[in-house]
Amino acid sequence: MKAAYWALVALVLYFIVAPIVGVALYGVLPSSSWGELGAMLGRSLPYLGRSLFVAAVVTVAATVVGTSGALATRRLAFPGRRLMRVLFALPLASPPFVGSLSFIMLFGRRGLITNGLLGLSVSPFGWRGVAALEVVSFGALAYLVVSSAIDRLDTAQEDAARTLGASERRVFLDVTLGSMRPEIATAAALVFLGSLADFGTPLILGGKFQTLASDLYIQITGLYDMRSAAVSGLLLLLPSAAAFACLRAAIVPGAYYATGSPIRDVAWRDHDKGVAAALVAVSALYSAFVVAQFGFIAIGAFSTHWSRDLTPTLANFREALKGDLSPFVNSAVLAFVSALAASWLGVALSYMIKRRRYPLARAVDVAATTPAAVPGILFGIGYLVVFRYPLFGAGRWYLTSLPPPVLLGTGAVVFLLCIFRYLNVGLRAGSALLDHVDPDLEDAARNLGRSEFGVLADISMPLLAPAMYGSFLKTFSTTMTTLGAIIFLILPSNKVAVQQLFQVVTGSGTGAAAALGVMLSTFTLGSLALMRGAVGLVSRLASRPAPGNAA
Amino acid sequence: MKKRILACAVAVLAIAAAFGDDWSSSSYSAALKGTRLSLYGVTDTVRPILDAFESDTGIRVDHLTMKNGEILQRLKNEAESGVAIADLWFTGGADTFITAARAGLLSPYASPAAAALGKDMKDPEGRWFGTSLTLVNWVVNADLIAEKGLRMPETWDDLLQPGLRGEVSMPDPASSGTAYNVVSAILQTRGEAAGWAYLDALIKQVPFFTPRGSDPANLVVSGEAIVGINASNGDRDLEVQNPHIRLVYPKDGTGWWPQPVAIVKGTKKEAAARVFIDWILSRRGMAVIASTRKAAVVRTDVAPPEGVVDIKDVALFPTDFQANAADREAILRLWAQHLGK
Repeated sequence: MKAAYWALVALVLYFIVAPIVGVALYGVLPSSSWGELGAMLGRSLPYLGRSLFVAAVVTVAATVVGTSGALATRRLAFPGRRLMRVLFALPLASPPFVGSLSFIMLFGRRGLITNGLLGLSVSPFGWRGVAALEVVSFGALAYLVVSSAIDRLDTAQEDAARTLGASERRVFLDVTLGSMRPEIATAAALVFLGSLADFGTPLILGGKFQTLASDLYIQITGLYDMRSAAVSGLLLLLPSAAAFACLRAAIVPGAYYATGSPIRDVAWRDHDKGVAAALVAVSALYSAFVVAQFGFIAIGAFSTHWSRDLTPTLANFREALKGDLSPFVNSAVLAFVSALAASWLGVALSYMIKRRRYPLARAVDVAATTPAAVPGILFGIGYLVVFRYPLFGAGRWYLTSLPPPVLLGTGAVVFLLCIFRYLNVGLRAGSALLDHVDPDLEDAARNLGRSEFGVLADISMPLLAPAMYGSFLKTFSTTMTTLGAIIFLILPSNKVAVQQLFQVVTGSGTGAAAALGVMLSTFTLGSLALMRGAVGLVSRLASRPAPGNAA
Repeated sequence: MKKRILACAVAVLAIAAAFGDDWSSSSYSAALKGTRLSLYGVTDTVRPILDAFESDTGIRVDHLTMKNGEILQRLKNEAESGVAIADLWFTGGADTFITAARAGLLSPYASPAAAALGKDMKDPEGRWFGTSLTLVNWVVNADLIAEKGLRMPETWDDLLQPGLRGEVSMPDPASSGTAYNVVSAILQTRGEAAGWAYLDALIKQVPFFTPRGSDPANLVVSGEAIVGINASNGDRDLEVQNPHIRLVYPKDGTGWWPQPVAIVKGTKKEAAARVFIDWILSRRGMAVIASTRKAAVVRTDVAPPEGVVDIKDVALFPTDFQANAADREAILRLWAQHLGK
């Protein structure tokens, strides 16, 4: 087990730390003076301020939305809660830029809802638009993280509090929310980092309000200025470190163990009416928003002219399918492999860090989470500048005469990037879940003579399955629908689908963009459902019915 | 001399007969069939052109679409590491190609077919060649013009009418080649003082400068702005797809640049890459570009296709591309100052 840990540490160093350090040095090294560096940093400070502001707003709102959604759809019985679970996952499966197009058409100055229904003429551009759209996409992420741990919550504690005479409101606030601290804090941290790193939303909806991440995207793609982009990217690492420290401080070690076996879909028997109403109201509002936004995309995909002529047609799909379809296959393979590897490695790493407490565990934890805060485009450049030399970049100095093995120009580098960029989701979700799993169970197995790997494979991994599933879902969807990091590494002969979509969207055929977006979302959700079905089937076939554990 | 021309003509005719069309390349041989080339560019609309090339030559070209800055970044790093991924680069801002040529990223080639191109349309050292023309135009939301009782803009000064305040959308010249082309062309045609006076007035009309060149057209289509400064091949697609949209070419002149094509230095498939250049600059290649991209091309002996703005009807700003690229930093610094006023 220790050998496996060190192997993982080596991988984290090569594929996460080296590219980030590499891109930093690429930006900083050629500077002639500290003054020049200072000027570059000074230029970026106002952008950092905006990033922090919008990230703070989004973190609060998205965490509230995600937590409410998880509690409402898994603890309360009301009609439509199963549908609501699908709606909460939908924003993850949708390409972000199609979402922003739809947002502008609904809520813009000429928007169907703001202008057509309410008669307003408000500009959607600015921090409000950015925050609103980010709450939609990161609310889904928070929901995923919180709900992956919810089955491990110990409802017996709630009952204990009730027996001791606590009011339902106090039970909810102190016991229920209190025992969910690890996953709520984790969700908040991931949302915060994700918002800092998001450049697509401010780029489309920011107007004058550009953030650090979108500004560095402009510096790279428009100004060809890699250096100052790398330097301003460094600034993003400071708030991420702070967020990480807060996350640690928010979780009290050993305080959340559940003793019972996992409980699924339990409905609260007693609950505070006000609390329940608030949870359902927040979830319903979010769902309505998702329905409006994504329903509108679906309408756009099937109409002659998005938002003008709603005569049904299939022309958009014909247009979208005109090209060659191999990019869809490439995308699916890439997303599947990276999601499987990233979630498995991430969760295994969380076990090694939290339970085995090997040396350097804290540092590795921080390092492996950092990519969440690094804008994709910068991470991609890190791979570009490091892996252009053989032997993970070391060949720059030692093997200059040798031809390959160089990773650049191979398909492998794209897979490695996706795996290590999204390792953090499984790692964080696994860590949060482990806070609920009593290590006594593992110790018992160990005492009964199981090997270290046996404990991990037979005891811990099954318990951590929800974290793995959630992280698979997030990584699969993100890899299917976002482009940023891999644009510097994909080969002309081996393209991915989202890139084609990006072309259609930035072109003029918005109906075709909607059609492609619908196809990509359907395909992603379909694959996930298939995956879930397959996993369920396998585990049902594999598990022999154990007496006394029928639940 | 005459003999040589005659010999050339005979050779061309022979090859034309062999291929049944108007192209030739001394680098071409049947052995190149089945070769795969990789191409970087900024648009997916090149695909049909590459398919036509494959059916003529048997050479397959895979393309990858990125932004100008991303292409430059990749080419630099791929050159430093000696990993040749791209063999060709087709479409993008002329200024990006000039920057890349100066950085030694492009391979010079004296293509015989380039003789048919005007000297504005190619690099003097043969590192890049123009193909089709990109024109700056305005995307106008005609419904909103009518609704607000505004005058349909026809000249650059019409953009300054008070009703258009906050309704003109323009990309940021620092990040968009289109917008930079407009700024430098206005300065070149109006002169420094009058040019900046005009730009100061224009800045007041624009609520914010969009990060990407493609944004203004989308904003006008969705009604967030009334006039958007845009770049096009000269096609009428936006108008056809959106009944409320008009494409306007300003009467007092507009910006333009040739869409370049180049061989990437370090390619291991130089011969096949040269065939591509010879083919695309030939009458055959240009005719394919004209019909598939619906674009006006740089060769004057190829007729413009149906539905395309005839270049003879559009007033073009006289433009010095080398100066455009050379003055870029200075002009952008001044632009930032005027923006802050």
